[in-house]
Amino acid sequence: MGLDRRGFITFLVGGAVGTLCTPIPWKTLDDVSIWSQNWPWIPKLQYGKRSQVASVCKLCPAGCGLSIHKVGKRPVVAQGNSTHPLSEGGVCPLGSCSVRLLYRPARVKGPLKNNNGKFEPISWDEARRILSEKLSSGKAACISGDENGSASEVLAGFLSLLGSEDFYFMPSDAQVSAYTWSQMGGKGQIGFDLENSDYVLSLGADILSSWGTVVRNQKAFATRKGKYIYAGPVQTGTAAAVDEWVPVYPGQEGVLALGIAYYLLKMGKGATIDGFSEVKNFVLSKYTPAVVEAKTGVKINKIKQLAQELVAAGSPCVIIGSDFGQGSGSFDWTSGILLNLLLGNVNKRGGMVLLPEVKVVESAPSRASLSKNVLGEFLKNVVSGNKKIDVLMVYDANPIYALPQALQVQEAFSKIPFKVGFSTFLDETAVMCDLILPAPHFLERYDDAYTPFGSGKVIYSVAAPVIKPVVNAKSTPDFILEVAKSLKKDLGYKSFEDVLKAKASAVGADFEDLLSGRTKVSNKWVGQNQLRLSVEILANGLVPDTEGTFLAPVARNYLGNTTQALTPTEVVVVRDSELKGRDLYVQVNRTTAKKLGLKQGDKVKLQGAGREFVGRVNITETVMDDTIAVPLGFGHEAWDEYVRGKGDNVFKVLSVVTEKGSGFQVWNKSQVKVVRA
Amino acid sequence: MEHKEFKVKWGMVIDIDKCTGCGACMVACQAENNIAPMQDGSDKTMTLTWMLVYELSNGKPFPDHEIAYLPRPCMQCGKPSCSTVCPVVATTKDEEGGIVSQIYPRCIGCRYCMAACPYHARYFNWYDPKWPKGLDKTLNISASPRPRGVVEKCTFCHHRFMEAKEKARYEGKDPLKLPEDAYIPACAEICPTGAIVFGDLNNPEHKVAKLAKSKYAFRLLERLGTDPQVYYYSKREWVRRLADNYLSTEKTKGE
Repeated sequence: MGLDRRGFITFLVGGAVGTLCTPIPWKTLDDVSIWSQNWPWIPKLQYGKRSQVASVCKLCPAGCGLSIHKVGKRPVVAQGNSTHPLSEGGVCPLGSCSVRLLYRPARVKGPLKNNNGKFEPISWDEARRILSEKLSSGKAACISGDENGSASEVLAGFLSLLGSEDFYFMPSDAQVSAYTWSQMGGKGQIGFDLENSDYVLSLGADILSSWGTVVRNQKAFATRKGKYIYAGPVQTGTAAAVDEWVPVYPGQEGVLALGIAYYLLKMGKGATIDGFSEVKNFVLSKYTPAVVEAKTGVKINKIKQLAQELVAAGSPCVIIGSDFGQGSGSFDWTSGILLNLLLGNVNKRGGMVLLPEVKVVESAPSRASLSKNVLGEFLKNVVSGNKKIDVLMVYDANPIYALPQALQVQEAFSKIPFKVGFSTFLDETAVMCDLILPAPHFLERYDDAYTPFGSGKVIYSVAAPVIKPVVNAKSTPDFILEVAKSLKKDLGYKSFEDVLKAKASAVGADFEDLLSGRTKVSNKWVGQNQLRLSVEILANGLVPDTEGTFLAPVARNYLGNTTQALTPTEVVVVRDSELKGRDLYVQVNRTTAKKLGLKQGDKVKLQGAGREFVGRVNITETVMDDTIAVPLGFGHEAWDEYVRGKGDNVFKVLSVVTEKGSGFQVWNKSQVKVVRA
Repeated sequence: MEHKEFKVKWGMVIDIDKCTGCGACMVACQAENNIAPMQDGSDKTMTLTWMLVYELSNGKPFPDHEIAYLPRPCMQCGKPSCSTVCPVVATTKDEEGGIVSQIYPRCIGCRYCMAACPYHARYFNWYDPKWPKGLDKTLNISASPRPRGVVEKCTFCHHRFMEAKEKARYEGKDPLKLPEDAYIPACAEICPTGAIVFGDLNNPEHKVAKLAKSKYAFRLLERLGTDPQVYYYSKREWVRRLADNYLSTEKTKGE
């Protein structure tokens, strides 16, 4: 039987219809879409057993407890440790990035030696030999960005065994407050018992965005017993959520504090401090409401209202701080402390509390005495030749990027013949060093945090490594202990782990307990002797402002911070009103823009401290009059493609003033000239 | 399309008055759901942000100006606009719990769903994800990495729901009666102020069920009829007023 035309067509149509009745075309279509999404460059998931381990975040000084989710041996996600008093399950965006930072492209992969501008890999043994040799013959100094870890204690202790007192913390409110408090004759670390306060007035400190124990501040705010008031120049995240925002010119929060103190004194409030009557007369005569209104921009009625509300509150708490966490002076802190003293809430539930210090490295100076060392002063002396330093060690800090007067910092660096950077990432400071000795990421090392600044309780937390170092990194304090041994200097400990064990027993905690994520918490406050206060410091608020527009730098954790540049994961969190491509926006309100003749999107230069900052104008009503707000964290020249070349660095145009009476360098009251670019 | 009712309806109540706009939810979401980092985050038409924090303004000049932040996940609409337009059934609302699914291997990248979604909650992979060397080792086992040409969106961390159900079954408990916090998405877990509350809207024992009934609770574009499972909460009238298109003569919900 032959196949005729009709039969052939019947076969074809029948076949086609028949195929449709089978799953073949549908399965094929489905497979095609799967195959077309299965490319070798799309990573495959590596399955494994899920688990959670505890850690402590060291990306900022807030010391949040983390719960690291692991798959097999790999950490994958960082969430908050719900039993940790400083995080209670919450984490800030920076902490949330911590796992991914293990593989940040900018990580230093191993020890490097600078050979005439070219970095060459060396071994750790060689690194130790080089550093020991340099230290045995020269004078050493150290800059640390680790405010509350024992690593700084090891470094400071090592330095003093070498006969050097040149240990400096990166400038912060923690340092200025400690210095101010000890000058007043106070003892202990200043803390704020927000959890038990029924009226929190934050003068400048951006407590819910970036300041102090930021996650714990937010937790305390969420369960607040009363009002939260924020006084600052910009409507930050804090201003968005609190009960009231009081706009005040940048860096004038101390003046506002004295304006409130004026009313408290008028109401008959007092404090038992040496020189009180002098202080009282000074405040009543110099910080009259009219003067304070002119300086701060806060209306007289509002100042009076704040004073009345503070007095009416059962347990008021006044927090003071720089709008961006650094650059404040003794004046700001003295004024804030005075306000707390007048309110009688020092060492009281819900007020300003004083927390004890713990030290286990015998040769290390106390925190209070270290806070007297002013980094800016040191760098100035190095530049002028008053101080000769042969070896500078920089740990967990990026002074080349994150200090005002960058040119002076660079000059000081160039005058120091040998610099060592203990940096996890290739930052602006590391690339200027002669040796880069990578510190492990905090998830790869033992580390601790003792009572982070701002905390209202003594809190000690310790973390063990979650993963082996993914690069050739070595714990800095362990390396320092090795170097000390080779120099025949005895710090009293064999390993950094032993230091942490000693600290655990010094605070009365079980080391294994701490490693499992439990923390040592204590409500012990330090009793005070007679305090004193001089009016010389208080006069600093009366210095007339210079010409120009007020500059309000804004710190937000999703923009990174002074040690960690904007992280790859945070790039998409940055708003399009903050960064457009490579142009950073500066924020001004309509009135200020009109006054300065600026329009939306205009390219402008901010001139200050002899340098220029370039940005574009974004008009927003979140900034007060005559003020220009600029986010911190941009203008990086090192790091990686996620941050390099984006925007400009506002530190360039911050002007530094030396404060009378304390000698502190202050840069929270900068003013700039705005010109169209 | 037929509208399904579920015994369990997972939902959120986001307290805008508590949100500080810190962005922790956004970052936690990126890590949990394996979203690759991008070099340029400014062009928001190209970024992938299943959770996105918007800045709200009351529109008044300084000093009367106020701001608020609004975190926006997928609304998991009761009557989703996206699933009805999908030509390949890549997005459906058919599972107990009421989460709108997104089935990547089925997606053909036509982006009808993106056009249909009134909340801009859906994102398109314009490029293949780029994982810097080693970063793929931090991939969570929760979500397969998506290639170029696929639409994706927030799934209320659906994998966590699956795990919670599995755990309940293993412990001999009813997987449809999960207790509060047995299942919670990454954003809600991490939120430092606890602004994001998550739970079963149909379970009176869960906090969300009560919060969603508050007079200050509202949903975005409520009168569009999408019936979102994400509620917001604010005592500020101007915030609630921004959530819908009100006529000038109309009163804001909750007033």
